[in-house]
Amino acid sequence: MRQSQAAVLERYTVLTGDFTTEPYETGWAAEARWFVRVLESSTPDTKVVFTTQVSPDGLHWCDAEGQEQTAQGEGLVSWPVREFGQWLRIRGSVEGADRSAKVLIYLTLKD
Amino acid sequence: MGSPTSDTTMDTAIAGHLRRAMLDADPVLSRYNPLSRILVFDQFNSGTHGWTELIGNHDGEGNLDTVDDHMRDFRPPQLSSCTFFDVGTHGAMTGTYALKVATRPVTGHTAVAIRRLTMAKKGRVQFETYFTYKAEAASEENGASTQAGAGDWDGNIHPSEQQFGAFTIATDICDDRGERYHTVMRYQNTDLDNQFTRRWMYPVVPEPTPREHLEGKAKLAATDDFTAPNPQDWRQIGESQSFCYNEVPTKVNWHYLRWQIDTEARKNIELQVNDRVYDLRDVPVPVYEERYDSLDNLLNFYVSARTHTGVRNFLFLDSVLVSVDW
Repeated sequence: MRQSQAAVLERYTVLTGDFTTEPYETGWAAEARWFVRVLESSTPDTKVVFTTQVSPDGLHWCDAEGQEQTAQGEGLVSWPVREFGQWLRIRGSVEGADRSAKVLIYLTLKD
Repeated sequence: MGSPTSDTTMDTAIAGHLRRAMLDADPVLSRYNPLSRILVFDQFNSGTHGWTELIGNHDGEGNLDTVDDHMRDFRPPQLSSCTFFDVGTHGAMTGTYALKVATRPVTGHTAVAIRRLTMAKKGRVQFETYFTYKAEAASEENGASTQAGAGDWDGNIHPSEQQFGAFTIATDICDDRGERYHTVMRYQNTDLDNQFTRRWMYPVVPEPTPREHLEGKAKLAATDDFTAPNPQDWRQIGESQSFCYNEVPTKVNWHYLRWQIDTEARKNIELQVNDRVYDLRDVPVPVYEERYDSLDNLLNFYVSARTHTGVRNFLFLDSVLVSVDW
């Protein structure tokens, strides 16, 4: 049977401006999928953009291949990642100086 | 011909030798000293084995804003290949993966992983593990080399060693009458001023619970030391103990730990860590005054890492074995 794991990297966190999630080790997994639940947003058109980042050592990061993802208002967004090496995190930004979004961020992994 | 009593004694001795010989013949188990029944044996090459992030309790609607501030960000444990910037993958003691408990780079942040079991009978319970601990290596982004605790590098002791705060192993136990208590062992590597203390400690008060918070008896801030928030409530056990941190944050040496308690007597018994054995029979076990429902025969184990500076702290477990004399 294949191994799998789900981790909650942010829980009811209120995001503003630029942010990164904590590093998470994923070397054992072959596939990953991010899920971001926006529980509250400061306005219905508040946008949060997300970019997956990869790292060889958990210290130095670059953007992974793939599209930038956007959440607008409340709801659930998700995107897959493959061939990511040892670590994953999200680099993101809440657009607008006075905007915020309260989120749950899940990383799901499978070998 | 011997008496029935001496025959029984001899049979017991032979059974003990046979059992130990069988353990010794197993390259995986021979490094452990289990009691008569192995309850769990966790090697993290095959998953997390039930070790998960500890979280406080939430309301009937699933609103996680109702979780206590200090119990909502204990971080998910990671399956770690112990990979570092200088050598790549170090690997665990057994195979590639260890369980890693990692704090945020925030002074006072605690990361906690928990394993949830129950008791089929009261008696002796023993927790064994091979572990190691590290502060995160420095990078331009994390700025660890300029965080509190960083000092000069003398070619031997690395500045990062003073940036590791403490790790803790503990239980959460409730008997069938609702009487609840924790047994707790903490290795404090540095004090809150990032000075080496390198000592084992235990708290003399029970940990504040979500119910006590709901009843207005306790309110902790997000980075408070949830096990026992007041530093005055901790006592040292025996002499201080130094470990082979091995000079830099990227070299991993594994240490043996064996901790035995008695859930019948509600007492600590003994802690062995490498070459040291601490007699814990006089270490008190504080009990909650109130009785708890819904926790009959609770037997949880948790491990935590706590940073005393703005640097991530890591506790790695190669494997865990819990055994009982039931």
